[in-house]
Amino acid sequence: MKCFVKVMPREVILDTQGRVVETHLKKQGFKIEQCRIGKMIELDLTVQTPDEMAAEVQKMMLAGLYNPLIEKYEILNG
Amino acid sequence: MAKKVGVIRFLGTNCDFDILKWVQNKGQNSEFIWHEDQFNTQDFEALILPGGFSYGDYLRCGALAARSPVMKSVNEFAKQGKPVLGICNGFQILCEAGLLPGALIRNDSLRFKDEWAQLRVVNQKSYFGEKLNPDQKIQLPIAHGDGRFYADAETFKKIQDQNCVWLKYEKNPNGSMADIAGVTNAQGNVFGLMPHPERAQFSWMGSTDGDFFL
Amino acid sequence: MRTFEEKLKFYRLTSEEYQKAKNSLGRDLLDIEWPLFSALWSEHCSYKSSKIHLRKFSYRNQNTPNLEGENAGVVDLGFGERIAFKMESHNHPSFIEPVQGAATGVGGILRDIFTMGARPIALANYLCFGQESAPRMDDLQKGVVHGISMYGNCVGVPTITGQTQYQSQYNQNILVNAMAVGYFAPEQKMARARAGGVGNWVVYVGAKTGRDGVHGASMASASFDEDTESKKPNVQIGDPYYEKLLIEACLEVLSKDLVVAMQDMGAAGLTSSSFEMASHGQVGLEIDLQKVPLRDPSMTPEEILLSESQERMLLICRPEHFPEIQKIFSRWNLDSTCLGTVREKRQVVLKWGSETLTTIDPDLIVEKAPRYERPYEKWVSAQQVASPSEVNWNLFNTTAKARPLNWIYNQYDQRVGTRTARDCADPIGMVQLDHSKRGLAVAVGCRADLMKMDARLGALDAIYYPSFQMALSGAKVMAVTDCLNFGNPQKVRIMSEFVASVEALAQAAEELDAPVISGNVSFYNETLEQNIISTPATGLVGLRADVENLIPSRFVNPFESVILVKYAWAATNAFWAHQKNQSARFYLNAEAKPAEFILSCVGLERKIFEKSISVSSLRSVSLGGVATTVQKMSDQGIVFKAHPQTVEADLYKDELYQFVLTTSNEQETIEFLQDYFSEMSPFLSIQVVGQTTQGA
Repeated sequence: MKCFVKVMPREVILDTQGRVVETHLKKQGFKIEQCRIGKMIELDLTVQTPDEMAAEVQKMMLAGLYNPLIEKYEILNG
Repeated sequence: MAKKVGVIRFLGTNCDFDILKWVQNKGQNSEFIWHEDQFNTQDFEALILPGGFSYGDYLRCGALAARSPVMKSVNEFAKQGKPVLGICNGFQILCEAGLLPGALIRNDSLRFKDEWAQLRVVNQKSYFGEKLNPDQKIQLPIAHGDGRFYADAETFKKIQDQNCVWLKYEKNPNGSMADIAGVTNAQGNVFGLMPHPERAQFSWMGSTDGDFFL
Repeated sequence: MRTFEEKLKFYRLTSEEYQKAKNSLGRDLLDIEWPLFSALWSEHCSYKSSKIHLRKFSYRNQNTPNLEGENAGVVDLGFGERIAFKMESHNHPSFIEPVQGAATGVGGILRDIFTMGARPIALANYLCFGQESAPRMDDLQKGVVHGISMYGNCVGVPTITGQTQYQSQYNQNILVNAMAVGYFAPEQKMARARAGGVGNWVVYVGAKTGRDGVHGASMASASFDEDTESKKPNVQIGDPYYEKLLIEACLEVLSKDLVVAMQDMGAAGLTSSSFEMASHGQVGLEIDLQKVPLRDPSMTPEEILLSESQERMLLICRPEHFPEIQKIFSRWNLDSTCLGTVREKRQVVLKWGSETLTTIDPDLIVEKAPRYERPYEKWVSAQQVASPSEVNWNLFNTTAKARPLNWIYNQYDQRVGTRTARDCADPIGMVQLDHSKRGLAVAVGCRADLMKMDARLGALDAIYYPSFQMALSGAKVMAVTDCLNFGNPQKVRIMSEFVASVEALAQAAEELDAPVISGNVSFYNETLEQNIISTPATGLVGLRADVENLIPSRFVNPFESVILVKYAWAATNAFWAHQKNQSARFYLNAEAKPAEFILSCVGLERKIFEKSISVSSLRSVSLGGVATTVQKMSDQGIVFKAHPQTVEADLYKDELYQFVLTTSNEQETIEFLQDYFSEMSPFLSIQVVGQTTQGA
């Protein structure tokens, strides 16, 4: 069962990549307000139900797939 | 006659002064070219894109630098068959700009690697490769986190067929395809290599094999 | 609404400190003034527990001008060349978030250097981790190394030397100290950090301000208690790319003489930089906090004052220079904004638009910060014995292997700048100075095993040993910086170790004519009443005539004699005793003069070259004795084989100080050494301990 998790920097944390790309796009004249960059984690689990999936993914996230001090995550298809 | 070498400076390029000094040490004139400026291709004999972390390596290594205003002139310069050398980040930029085949991705160890590499010259080239003979072994330092050379099957075949492979590692430090450390374009005037020849100028640096490149 | 007691706790002020502040102001503190005192009277910013003792580093010589209140120490190397250098700690933030903690530590120390107008040319680090089995320790050490690597490599300054140690006492308080060295070419101006010129503008340059690290400086001044994990601070994020841009822009405006003064915004951000610049410059400043460029427009004045967002500088300039400053910063993609002006009346006026938040004398907060005379006892060396026979020499372990550390330094770019002559694989680092082409040696010191046994001996060694290592590379130590990492200064034992260390460092510095000219104090490295080993880390710079003909520190040829030269001052079993959890002991020969010996070693390498003595490798003996050192010297399959007559225990003895060398001409070399060190007898001995051979 596939699960897509979006990991982004916490709002209050400086996103160094996003900041530079945002400046670059603005300089090129694109109609952009803000850019933030994170990552997409694609997991293929051996569970049977969506509830099981959500529970298992939550455990995985806490086991080190994200750094709660500086990141937040969102299960996209949960 | 002293040649004039243009050294491109992007935001974050940190080997800029190293290259400027290297060229001057070899008795040639060198001058910075700012990433936002276009230039007249007649003004320079050769161009060097130094190593470093242009734009912090953000998004992808060399991705943002490859889309700088100066690259229009660099493209023009390369089209005219004039010599262009990209070292480390410079190599990454030339690949992103389509002036060299392939791409440089994360080292297979996933870590930045600073060490000495033994290299073997694969194909005879002119300009920056003039002083190097096929099968010659040289020692240069590497220092990179994204030095793994990669090309898809079709591109890789073209690279082989057109003799674009320039230098190979004797002991592959990063998982590069076919141990490739440096390539040229098909025309043979645009060069890219991950190791740093400018860091092998004097014996106290650890090697003088950088002398073969200028 | 917080109660008064809650406020004292939140802002980490004692009620006595509050009373002192209240007395100076003649009234109770306004809300906006609490964070000012909290930040600037924290241990980290005010040095309140250490200042009276740091005065013991008063020794100066003709190369070290007295620069009170500047960001880093400056050494005049002659030929118009100067060096700025400093070391700083980032222990607590690294424990919380190792990658960013270490990265921002590097960023911070670099700013202290280039804010003076010096181009950073080398980095070094001093790391202490706990046992590998301790909770989180694997992540911590990997994270710290990654953070240093990520920041140093991207910003383009080579990391050329360092020291990493592992002791259980650091299990809950790791040490991450970063050192930076910067170079002033001849004629290059040095910028000051004192505001001046009434009517001049106060200008903010660099990254926008966010909520990074609010209350960070206070955090460094408190020990961690059990709910560290539940704290979710706004971790300061370092951006080395931004820092690189800042370096170029700052050096450009400084070289064009457009700037009166500059200071980086480090711990306690805008608060410390503005108040310190005003106080040291003996002027006033008016700053409108609404003008500060913000990442989040909802930030309060207090948050703005305390933000520790990285890669920001505060500078003072004449109004007519501002447009050019702005143009230069803009070229480097950086913001520059005028926040206010320099005033004659010695007050800092903080405004929020048209509203005045407070008007306060900067001296009250900076100069008149509390100074504590924490109780301590005169040092007694409890582990010292009267004769070498009282030291148990049988604790050594013949199967002990030196822990490989190349996984650490192979992640550092050691050669960017094309100045590197000696890198992390050598005992010390060395870069070439641009104009004179002389060698600048860089080393860090302080060996935890010695400190654990005796603070005084350990602190003397913290300067002696790296100076010795430098001397063997032909460099004379010129000056010292330090990072004094200690536990809770309110504990008599800790404070006694602190005072003993400071006095020992001061003594060694004067003996070697290498003044201690900058530094940092990190107190409260304590968790749940467990304190770290007192660790006064040192950073040294030294000078060599050139970078040519450096003798390798690893074996080059097999079948050569290995000669041990020993100067018998101190002898200890600390290294081995601690591994077996036994009490360490040491013996000192009171007649010996280690500093003299070290200084005499400076000319050795040159003499070897001049007289064409065939010495193929040379290295100081580190803790664990000759046996441990020759392991480090093994290279390309060449290993050490002991002489059959050599007493095994002798190869594991730690006698301070020893060095080994290899030679193909034993007789000639021994005669040369006897002659060279003739003035050092009777403390000096020369012995052939074995030979190099082709190993497995």
